[in-house]
Amino acid sequence: MRSALNSSRLARAVVLGTPLALIFVLILGPLAITLVVSFWQKIGFSMRPAMSFENYAAFFSGTRLDVLLRSLWVGVSAAVVMLLLAYPIAYLIATRLRTALVRPVLFLFAVPFLVNYVVRTFSWSELLSRTGPVNTGLMAVGITERPLDWLLFSDFAVYLGLVTAYMPFMVFPIWLSLSGIDRRLVEASWMLGEGPLATFRRVVLPLSMPGVVAAAIFGFVGAFGEVAVSQILGGTGYQLLGNTIQSALNTLDYPLAAAISSVATILMLALIVLWARIFDLRLLLGKIMGRT
Amino acid sequence: MTMTRGKIANLLGWSLVALVLVFLYAPLVPPAINSFRDVGEGGLFANYAAILSDDRLMAAGRTSVIVGLLVALISPLLALLAAEAVRVWRIPRLVLGVILIPLFVPGISMGVATALFFQTLGISPSLLTITAVQVIWALPFAFLIILTVMANFDPIQREAAYMSGANRIQAFFEVELPQIHPGILGAAIFSLILSFNETIRTSVVQGGQNTVQTYLWSQYQQVGLSPNLHALMTILIVATLLLLGLLALLDARQTRR
Repeated sequence: MRSALNSSRLARAVVLGTPLALIFVLILGPLAITLVVSFWQKIGFSMRPAMSFENYAAFFSGTRLDVLLRSLWVGVSAAVVMLLLAYPIAYLIATRLRTALVRPVLFLFAVPFLVNYVVRTFSWSELLSRTGPVNTGLMAVGITERPLDWLLFSDFAVYLGLVTAYMPFMVFPIWLSLSGIDRRLVEASWMLGEGPLATFRRVVLPLSMPGVVAAAIFGFVGAFGEVAVSQILGGTGYQLLGNTIQSALNTLDYPLAAAISSVATILMLALIVLWARIFDLRLLLGKIMGRT
Repeated sequence: MTMTRGKIANLLGWSLVALVLVFLYAPLVPPAINSFRDVGEGGLFANYAAILSDDRLMAAGRTSVIVGLLVALISPLLALLAAEAVRVWRIPRLVLGVILIPLFVPGISMGVATALFFQTLGISPSLLTITAVQVIWALPFAFLIILTVMANFDPIQREAAYMSGANRIQAFFEVELPQIHPGILGAAIFSLILSFNETIRTSVVQGGQNTVQTYLWSQYQQVGLSPNLHALMTILIVATLLLLGLLALLDARQTRR
């Protein structure tokens, strides 16, 4: 009996442990090796193991440093714009919608997120071009006489592309944390004499922060490491961090690409760890995780 | 007074939602319109017909289908086993923390990391590396979907199965699986859609193989977008919408039950 119990426990450990180990290796292995390679040296078209900081020195100087600083700024400001749109949307869905309509409306935001964003970005370059429908329409109505130059190959176009690429998905974590808020807390605030605005500011907003911050990190990282949107909508020379990695790859400089990737990954991990430390994740994931 | 103000705020709010949806759906339209331009003598669907005679593109299409099916098979399976491990060993934070990482790493960085990983192991770029990078990308979504359906399953039913003499495996296959299988199917379709629409991660590990998306991306970078690429994009959008329709249908049937 005892050995039967032990062997069934062993079988379970193998059946569940193997795939879990595979997942951990497939996700953490690449990130760890990237960190190692980031200290290697590039020789010709190949690379050699070393313990050198030259890739980091090359990253933190000259134009690449400018790109890093710009990516940080674009990442933060785009994430703020995305939040300003995603939060009211998630709030309306969570609080002002009949239960039967919640899933269909959330689905409406999932659809565009799932259509390849590179394809959607190509469409924006078409829509915003000098001869595109937006400019043609504006001229036909008489709002402008000549095509607007700032529509394409501009900050405006890049932000539009980034927001439409990443914002739809941010609705979900925010909605998740808003819909998990105990209604009685809101009612208690009302009964204690707070108005709707104060109730929102002091009860609803703080309780929804786990979802808001998770969404913000997602939007920030997306914009920060972007490749396609900046290349298609930003025009020549518009670079975000992803483009620097891409150009390092184009010259087969894997150690440099690894160093830039490692900086991005470490920054992101720091944000996630901070997030997990500050917030009680059960607030956000309680619904998903059930009783575990 | 406050009543009307609330109503106005509501109206403004829903107008914002509608406006945002217009901006989100507008980019789905231009490829379809452009795909019927410059058709010349070949008839209305000339650009679509041109796809069929493009051997490289057809090969990329086969790769996309094979990889997509593999991802749709592997991701939900790994997600299901990981979710089961979470429940058995009570380590939700660790497993969730690791599986969600790919959501928060820039796509190109994850691509570079995976490429270096396989290079170190001496595995050259192939269908396998493409599948691996896409499984890692689809896994967080599949995992969250499966965790959600498993949370809706009352564990007391499993206890009941044990008391009726079922072992763990029987209890899972005969009691739990029939109830959570729509969620697993949903995770599979979701993974297929994500695989089918992935570009940047794949482009770093693809080697000589192309998927439809990386073919599109490399053509754009080398020669720009031609009319038959607009036809291709239209097909990709329509295929994605059809798969999403299937997902919605499945979901509606599930909720009605």
